[in-house]
Amino acid sequence: MGLIDNLEKYAQHQNLSKDKRVMFDSFIKKGFPTTSDEEWKYTSLKKVVKSDYNLLLEHTEIENSVINKYSLGVEDKIVFVDGNLVYSPEIKGVHISGFSDFDCRNNDVISKLNSALAKSGFTIVVEKNTVVENPIEILFFNLTKNSFSQYRNRITVGENSEIKIIENIQDLSKSSTLVNHFTHVSCNKNTKVEYNKIQNNCKDSTLIDCMNIFQKQDSVCEVNTLIFGGDFTRNNLNFEQNGTNCESNMNGISLLDGNQFADNHTFVDHKTAHCRSNEMYKGIYLGKSKGVFNGKIMVRQDAQKIDAFQSNNNLLLSDNSTIDSKPQLEIYADDVKCSHGCTIGQLDNEALFYMRSRGVGISEAKAVLTYAFASEVIENLSIPELKNLSQRLLAHKLGVDLDFSL
Amino acid sequence: MSDIKKQSEDELLEEVTSSEYKYGFTTDIESDTIPKGLSEEVVRTISAKKNEPEWMLEYRLNAYKAWLEMEEPNWANVSYKKPNYQDVIYYSAPKQKPVLDSLDDLDPEMKRTFDKLGISLEEQKRLANVAVDIVMDSVSVATSFKETLAEKGIIFCSISEAIQEHPELVKKYLGTVVPVRDNFFSALNSAVFSDGSFCYIPKGVQCPMELSTYFRINEAGTGQFERTLLIADEGSQVSYLEGCTAPMRDENQLHAAVVELIALDSADIKYSTVQNWYPGDKDGNGGVFNFVTKRGICHKNAKISWTQVETGSAVTWKYPSCILKGDNSIGEFFSVAVTNNKQQADTGTKMVHLGKNTKSTIIAKGISAGYSDGNYRGLVRIAKGATNSRNFSQCDSLLMGDKCGSHTFPYIEVKNNSSQVEHEATTSKIGEDQIFYCNQRGIGTEEAIALIVNGYCKDVLNQLPMEFAVEAQKLLEISLEGSVG
Repeated sequence: MGLIDNLEKYAQHQNLSKDKRVMFDSFIKKGFPTTSDEEWKYTSLKKVVKSDYNLLLEHTEIENSVINKYSLGVEDKIVFVDGNLVYSPEIKGVHISGFSDFDCRNNDVISKLNSALAKSGFTIVVEKNTVVENPIEILFFNLTKNSFSQYRNRITVGENSEIKIIENIQDLSKSSTLVNHFTHVSCNKNTKVEYNKIQNNCKDSTLIDCMNIFQKQDSVCEVNTLIFGGDFTRNNLNFEQNGTNCESNMNGISLLDGNQFADNHTFVDHKTAHCRSNEMYKGIYLGKSKGVFNGKIMVRQDAQKIDAFQSNNNLLLSDNSTIDSKPQLEIYADDVKCSHGCTIGQLDNEALFYMRSRGVGISEAKAVLTYAFASEVIENLSIPELKNLSQRLLAHKLGVDLDFSL
Repeated sequence: MSDIKKQSEDELLEEVTSSEYKYGFTTDIESDTIPKGLSEEVVRTISAKKNEPEWMLEYRLNAYKAWLEMEEPNWANVSYKKPNYQDVIYYSAPKQKPVLDSLDDLDPEMKRTFDKLGISLEEQKRLANVAVDIVMDSVSVATSFKETLAEKGIIFCSISEAIQEHPELVKKYLGTVVPVRDNFFSALNSAVFSDGSFCYIPKGVQCPMELSTYFRINEAGTGQFERTLLIADEGSQVSYLEGCTAPMRDENQLHAAVVELIALDSADIKYSTVQNWYPGDKDGNGGVFNFVTKRGICHKNAKISWTQVETGSAVTWKYPSCILKGDNSIGEFFSVAVTNNKQQADTGTKMVHLGKNTKSTIIAKGISAGYSDGNYRGLVRIAKGATNSRNFSQCDSLLMGDKCGSHTFPYIEVKNNSSQVEHEATTSKIGEDQIFYCNQRGIGTEEAIALIVNGYCKDVLNQLPMEFAVEAQKLLEISLEGSVG
């Protein structure tokens, strides 16, 4: 069978509109991308495409204790179980509802598939001049065995408003699952948006995530991607700046072991002058894990006075780990400051020796140095609960009992 | 071209070549051409005309068959009208420019460039192909050079001659670094290459002169499908320079050369290129398409260093690469690529680390002006077994004018955890404050820019053989002339 067959069979029984049918057909015609596609050069979907998935989700109930177990502990939570929105908070100036369809011009085949078949997701509208004090946590639970779930989310932030969001996708079915996640964010004038993704799913889960962010004048948007779990993760993160004085910030940590695979694909499109972008991705690879980074910065012809900075640092901590990195700059304007840096290396043996000679055990010494490497990203997380979780997960994955929160 | 005109040109050719090549190496000069287009018949004809052995014909036919199955690549970030491969003449006698009576007959534009480059009068005459007897002096120098080389056992001749005289060497090494099926253009070149250079440096021999010097005296006419094979045996050392700072006008629009370097244990090859082919006019009409495959293989403790200054050609598509197969081998790549007007360049390098303790350095400087596009595309691959390998890459771009583009596409693939890879890239423009500083001190804007550009490229220019470094600096100035508004 395989995924394509599953999808075709599923689509037959759906009452798709004409547009959606066209979209689905164009997806089927193209199929899933292969490694001969430049954007998927280092990322093979072979294993995913070969497997069978269940597209009809069950409707299971979930206990509060389970939710609390996976929640960060913040007050405002949006909870999805098997694609159904089961809980959403009441917040002044914020309208939260379930799936509402919207168009998006996206050429990516997987986004097309999402667009054609997704029936679940959230819609958040923040009114003008609203500062949402507390972060909102969005939890997606899955209990259907071997499920393929697709979410299609939309966030619209009105002028002069601020919001912080934490997203967590969690599988509880103990089987291999696939999620195709798509989020569209519109940042209006003078808004501040922070979006945090905790990707700490169980070891058989596959995630293909795509986030498109459209920024207007004076807006600041930050996306933090924290990858600790999951078998296969692909993050597409696209920023489009459509007004002066925008700022786009991207930070990421990938801490992988075993056979984990994670691919961070970022694209910043500087369309207007006087904007900034900062990008910092750190990768730590253990076991037989494999990491991919592809960062592209595009500066259009009239987008002068752009400051774009990108860095990708990687630590290879085991014999069988691999990293493929492709930092790209495409620049058509002359009065810009753009740079990218990429490093791949190991922990400093002298620093390790220094600590060991003072009685620090090898794994602790390594953990401290690794934390120091990752701290540039972790220390800058603005939500304390998120910072704590990241520190705990880091210690746990490196097999040490250390508390990094000082 | 009418037949009569062609005939007279051919006669002229023969006349010129028979005198010019009296002491040279190019042996069989054919004055006849074959019809346009490419077919198995054409490949057979080329091989027959060159009186090649059976194995060579086999090689060419294999390449031709491979080429038929391949598609012209379009992944490079350049756009051009694809040449019609059936509209090209694949074999013709080496082209020669008409002989001039004196330098006064020279195109004033050309003369101006020569002067700016600071090329001596004698050499100007030779480069411009002014009547031969005046050049006698240099020719005799060339002959003595050849004797010196022969004494050391160095083989340095055209590849056609090598196929006849040293078939064992050619057979052993040809196509080992750039296989026939490597890419579209290398397959094409393997099928139809007309000539090129062959160089063999025996064990432990240090080439007594820079082969670059040799070229200054006796420049080999570059053909359309040039094939270069350079073998440095164990412990030997050689420095080789191709190209010339002088502007090269050539009728052939398509150039697909292949260069293979083989550095055996502890050998050291330095390969420098100065490329100044016709870049087309200001509106991007005409100009040479330069699609070159250059690759070297390093055995144990060997070193290959590529240096290139690319200022010409309408479209450049070139990635001199090093395969660091042996332990402790070293690969280097130093490049300055200048694009102006509507030129497009997609150039960079590949460093493939296979052996232990291998090291590579990449310094690429791009300068884009006018409406041009400059791309750096590079690959650093560290294989699983390349323990303790090290790479440092730096690719900087300088933008002049708001209509040009500069792009970097580095690919970094690391499979070994004891390796260190660093890559950094910056894009910037010449600061107004820097220009102002120079202006204040009485340095004009054009000169100030030349000064700054030279400083920017210094890391690369320093790698060139001495006499070329000076000229290359001036060449940069000329290439960027008028690009500052």
